[in-house]
Amino acid sequence: MLSKQITRQEMLVIAAARQIQNGDVAILGIGLPIIAGAVAKKTHAPEAVLMMESGICDFEPRVLPMHVADASATRGYGYATDLFSVFTTITHAGYLDKAFLGVGQIDKFGNINTSYLGTPPDAQRISAAGGAPEFYAYAKKSILTMKGGQFVEKLPYITSPGYLGGGNEREASGRYTPGSGPSVLLTSKGIFKFHEQTKEMYLDALFPGVTVERVKKDIPWDLKVAETLGSFPIPTDEEIHALREFSPRASFSSPVAVQLVFENFKRKMAAAKQAVLRN
Amino acid sequence: MGAQSGSKVMTTREAVSRFVKDGDSLITGNYNESMPTSLIYEIIRQGRRGLTYYSQSGSFDGEFLVFGGCVDKMVSAFIYKWGGSQRGGIIEQYQRAGKLQIEDYTNFTYNARLAAGAYGYSYMPVLPAIMDSDVFKYRSFMGDKKFGTTTCPFTGKTIPVVPAANPDVCVLHVQRADKNGNAQHWGGLGSTVHACLASRTIIVTCEELVEYDVIRSSPHHTIVPGFRVSAVIEEPYGCHPFEIPGYRGLDTAMFSLINQAFKSDDTMQKYMDEWIYGLPSRAAYMKHYVEVFGQEMLNRYLARSFHSAPANYGIPFQSGWDHNGIANDLGVDMQGLEKLIAEKGEIVDVK
Repeated sequence: MLSKQITRQEMLVIAAARQIQNGDVAILGIGLPIIAGAVAKKTHAPEAVLMMESGICDFEPRVLPMHVADASATRGYGYATDLFSVFTTITHAGYLDKAFLGVGQIDKFGNINTSYLGTPPDAQRISAAGGAPEFYAYAKKSILTMKGGQFVEKLPYITSPGYLGGGNEREASGRYTPGSGPSVLLTSKGIFKFHEQTKEMYLDALFPGVTVERVKKDIPWDLKVAETLGSFPIPTDEEIHALREFSPRASFSSPVAVQLVFENFKRKMAAAKQAVLRN
Repeated sequence: MGAQSGSKVMTTREAVSRFVKDGDSLITGNYNESMPTSLIYEIIRQGRRGLTYYSQSGSFDGEFLVFGGCVDKMVSAFIYKWGGSQRGGIIEQYQRAGKLQIEDYTNFTYNARLAAGAYGYSYMPVLPAIMDSDVFKYRSFMGDKKFGTTTCPFTGKTIPVVPAANPDVCVLHVQRADKNGNAQHWGGLGSTVHACLASRTIIVTCEELVEYDVIRSSPHHTIVPGFRVSAVIEEPYGCHPFEIPGYRGLDTAMFSLINQAFKSDDTMQKYMDEWIYGLPSRAAYMKHYVEVFGQEMLNRYLARSFHSAPANYGIPFQSGWDHNGIANDLGVDMQGLEKLIAEKGEIVDVK
């Protein structure tokens, strides 16, 4: 049972954490995925094998990493390998159960753009590909999270192919791990899944207080909705405790977190200046 | 190339001056952590021009090199939005303005190019799904040579391939090295080993210069053999403000300051004037850090030790003779051996 006040961001992290099963081999990216992994590992999935693509495998999340080779993740990890091996011997060889990926833009068949908002080289960047295309292609299942991203009818740039044109297209191409692809997309408005046959995205559950109409406003195609809408998972005290212990800033939206961190930095700098003057 | 005559131990200034030339392709060995910032700042200070920069990770190393006017082309797998989602970083601005050409790869395909380069292959197969990605489709300065396809002679399947990359110079920061350049690093490796071994010249800075005996008792930590290294520099804090396992964490105070610098060209210029151009060495940089931030701030990021269990490499015999002076395989002492030689050896008359 939940006794504390919780935030929208915390709800989203816990929903992602629940996607990790005990014993899963999972690759985690920076941001929400790593926080979700930390919570899962501390609560219902202590035997999950968490990895980051720099070759840090079977690690114990202690401190929020700032990047995928962060030294805070190499205190007490089980398998020190390298990036090439993560993509080949683990991912392509078929041992990666779950990939967690962030979304910039997504279409109805789960194709993802994280590169450019138009045609390169003139277009504004989202960021770039990183490890996403190969993890998305070869992980047995992919869990998508989107914060501040966009649903679009046609992507200006496909960074990471999902179900391509839908239906059997991904499977028939022979280029992907059989049965792979996005299983779920989590946003702070709802949980989306992909139809078993058509592979078209549909709304499966609503975030508390959000209506179907509100969700549809963000989506440029006629979004299909599950016959019976599910509900967002409600965090437990244990999960909230694990989340706050790992990353106190994760309870806030990014702009608020950045502001709070910056205010702390200014306080620290002022104190440092005082100390320097005293000496 | 590789080993030069004379000592490899030198200063950062000397190493950059001798081994980094205008027009070179340059790569950072380290993948985010332990980024060799001292060497990168020196390259900026010495005003190298026309570099092709291999940057996998999107940290500020590439941003500074580009703003410093050193780089014309980049090969990259990730670009971080320093400067926020609208303004973007320096790299993005220069790319959009046509002042910088970027070839986008994925982390794996970028690494595969270096693996091919390190192994001496001309190309490397990559994973087939990339052919459905626009990373495969859109080409910058490499054009047709960014990706190719071949047919597997055994399955008949079409396989995408990438060309080998062999950068001219790799700059690397590690925990420890010896004077011959044997470089030891532990922690998140990323594509560090392939980046180093693919490169023609390797420059290493280290937190500590150690005796060869230290290397020989922990060879599993040696990521680059000394015979491949051209210069080695003992440079404590050579990767600041990046972290290095066993020594320091990522200096978030300095990262906050750097974040602020990305607000405008003026603030960027001011930051680089103060922290790069205005300070001739890493020692001067660290002295300035303590003046600005204070020693307490620096100490806050010091690592609390967590030691690896020593690996026991012991063996029973140290030569062909056991500890009682008996030959392991013949079961005789030295006198016995000489007797056997006299009886059964093919004695040659050399007198």
